[in-house]
Amino acid sequence: MKTKHYRYFAFIVLALIFSIQANADNLRKIVSLSGYWKFSIGDDISWAIPSYNDSGWDQIAVPGLWENEGYKDYNGYAWYRRTFKPGDIPANTTIYLMLGRIDDVDEVYLNGKLIGKSGKFPPNFESAYSRTRKYIIPFESLKEDAENVIAVRVYDSYLEGGIVEGPAGIYVDEDNELLNLDLSGKWKFHTGNNKDWKSPEFNDEDWKLINVPDYWENEGYEDLDGYAWYRVKFQSPKNLNAGDLYLSLGKIDDVDDVYLNGEFVGNVYDMRKTFEYNWNGWECNVRRIYKIKDGLLKPNGMNTLAVKVHDDQGLGGIYDGPIGIMSAQNYREYRNEYHSDQSFWDYLYEKFIR
Amino acid sequence: MITLLNKRKMRTLFISALICLLTLSGKGNPGNGDLVLLQSLKGSWLFSIGINEEWISPKFNDSGWEAIKVPSPWEDQGFNGYNGYASYRKKFTIPSLYKGRMLYLNMGYIDDVDEVYLNGNKIGSTGSFPPDYTTAYNAERVYYIPEEYINFDASNLIAVKVYDSYDRGGIVSGEIGLYGGKNTVNFDINLQGAWKFMPGDDPRRKESDFNDGMWDEIFVPAKWEDQRYRDYDGYAWYRKSFVWTGNNADEKMVIMMGKIDDIDQVYINGTFVGSTGNFPINGRESANTGQEYDAFRGYYLPSGLLKKGQKNVIAVRVLDTGGAGGIYEGPIGIISQAKYIEYWRKIKKTGY
Repeated sequence: MKTKHYRYFAFIVLALIFSIQANADNLRKIVSLSGYWKFSIGDDISWAIPSYNDSGWDQIAVPGLWENEGYKDYNGYAWYRRTFKPGDIPANTTIYLMLGRIDDVDEVYLNGKLIGKSGKFPPNFESAYSRTRKYIIPFESLKEDAENVIAVRVYDSYLEGGIVEGPAGIYVDEDNELLNLDLSGKWKFHTGNNKDWKSPEFNDEDWKLINVPDYWENEGYEDLDGYAWYRVKFQSPKNLNAGDLYLSLGKIDDVDDVYLNGEFVGNVYDMRKTFEYNWNGWECNVRRIYKIKDGLLKPNGMNTLAVKVHDDQGLGGIYDGPIGIMSAQNYREYRNEYHSDQSFWDYLYEKFIR
Repeated sequence: MITLLNKRKMRTLFISALICLLTLSGKGNPGNGDLVLLQSLKGSWLFSIGINEEWISPKFNDSGWEAIKVPSPWEDQGFNGYNGYASYRKKFTIPSLYKGRMLYLNMGYIDDVDEVYLNGNKIGSTGSFPPDYTTAYNAERVYYIPEEYINFDASNLIAVKVYDSYDRGGIVSGEIGLYGGKNTVNFDINLQGAWKFMPGDDPRRKESDFNDGMWDEIFVPAKWEDQRYRDYDGYAWYRKSFVWTGNNADEKMVIMMGKIDDIDQVYINGTFVGSTGNFPINGRESANTGQEYDAFRGYYLPSGLLKKGQKNVIAVRVLDTGGAGGIYEGPIGIISQAKYIEYWRKIKKTGY
């Protein structure tokens, strides 16, 4: 009995932690994708093709367990399909497809193109049932004024299955609107650790491309723990010259060392000393925002950003935005939005004891 | 302060809390296993003490046998004080209306041990005859009847061998009859019936050329506790070979494995095709929810795995961590994906 009580206590504490962090993002919905989708059990890659005729398919509520929709006791593969017309989409900002929690594994196709995946399908099955699905929609894959087709391939091993918990929709992250230069997108990536990789002169031509922000597990590095480096080269526009500038790297799992044009800019432990951004002992939840020293950024020239990441275990990488450069004014707004001197224990104390 | 609790620990706690919740929420029965009575077989059967291999044959002339009421202990039918072997026979007609349906023979409760034959073919056995005697007087006998053993619209013979050690004996109680599954599964090959079985664990047992000639016979689906492995917990393997006469190689196929207590890995022709639950790795326990035994198994086969017109071998590794064990509930067989989708849509529509 003791163990049981201990487990309940642990669950309550964890539920609290998660509820505190639940509102951490500043997402705005453009298109809702909850409601009825087309649904079929089974597995066939041709179901990803936009022109596939799914008129004979069943319908199913999203979000929801397929067990509650008449597929009680079904385990295995199933596909979800639906169409949507987004209308006007804000320019120059990252657009996300959010599907909430999917139990256990998924692959998402937009207009026939794979845009994201989580977990591993059999034979080397690995569940991702606890992850919230948030995939970047490549701007070129989305049609603004025509029907878009989303097809989601899902695999459930056993117990609950499906797109089980929302939100489902197309979102923009309003924090990205605070970026004067958005650096999210394709970066260079290499596993391991080498001090030469911070240098702007280093040739990263043969490095693999990776989406930033995203967990590297979703980008083909399923079992990677330990060191890896990210690099990106970017042209800094002229207007980024005036006043103080800040580099935002969103959230990183777990710890980072950031170099701009070969010079050290900061790491998560600096955040602790200076800003206390959501610092609660989990490095992976700290919002990284580093002041760029005067003269380090080359206006109107080529700049190299290199980030060393070390992941202790589980999910890893630069996994959440905003990613880019902010002016001092936008930085203050961003800081006001998330800054908190409160620790987790202060929060508990305030909520339950005082 | 919370930094003292590192992320790894927090995640472990979170997972254990989740597992705790999942265990509590549970999951009901699917209704797939529900059976409907098609024809009662209660009433007058023929009876003789003793057993004889000739008595299971439809050709055997049983006109000299005594009539006996089924179900009822033979002590109440004029055989008071008799313990030991006895045989039952009954002829009945199965209409062709039931063709394509999954048919089961419910023999009720038999005290203590039985073997049941339809038209000379063994369809099930519960408990264990001497010299390795184990009783199974409290197990309900429900045996799947492979369709190839049935004479539709003609006479079919049920022959039952019984052993009773002491006290009441025979087919003592139960709803004896012919039953049908509520939902017809249109299998390309039905794999219910006799399989090969061996306790223990050895990775070579998955290979198609592994020699299982010395293995025991077991009926699937049924708990192994009712089939001579009364107190066995732990690893065991099931094997069955079959000739694949089904569709072309590129059609997607699914193997339905019903429910397995507790966890399983399924191989066809040596290739892994699916698993439910986590097996220990290098002797270390893996995390399981405790609900694996209740999960319905349907594994999608890699294309080109089944060899047409040739012998194919399915091998199932099972780990039972306590209580009942084995492949205990159907339906079990191989079906095309298209028909599998129809099967589930029918369950959605009708509830079974």
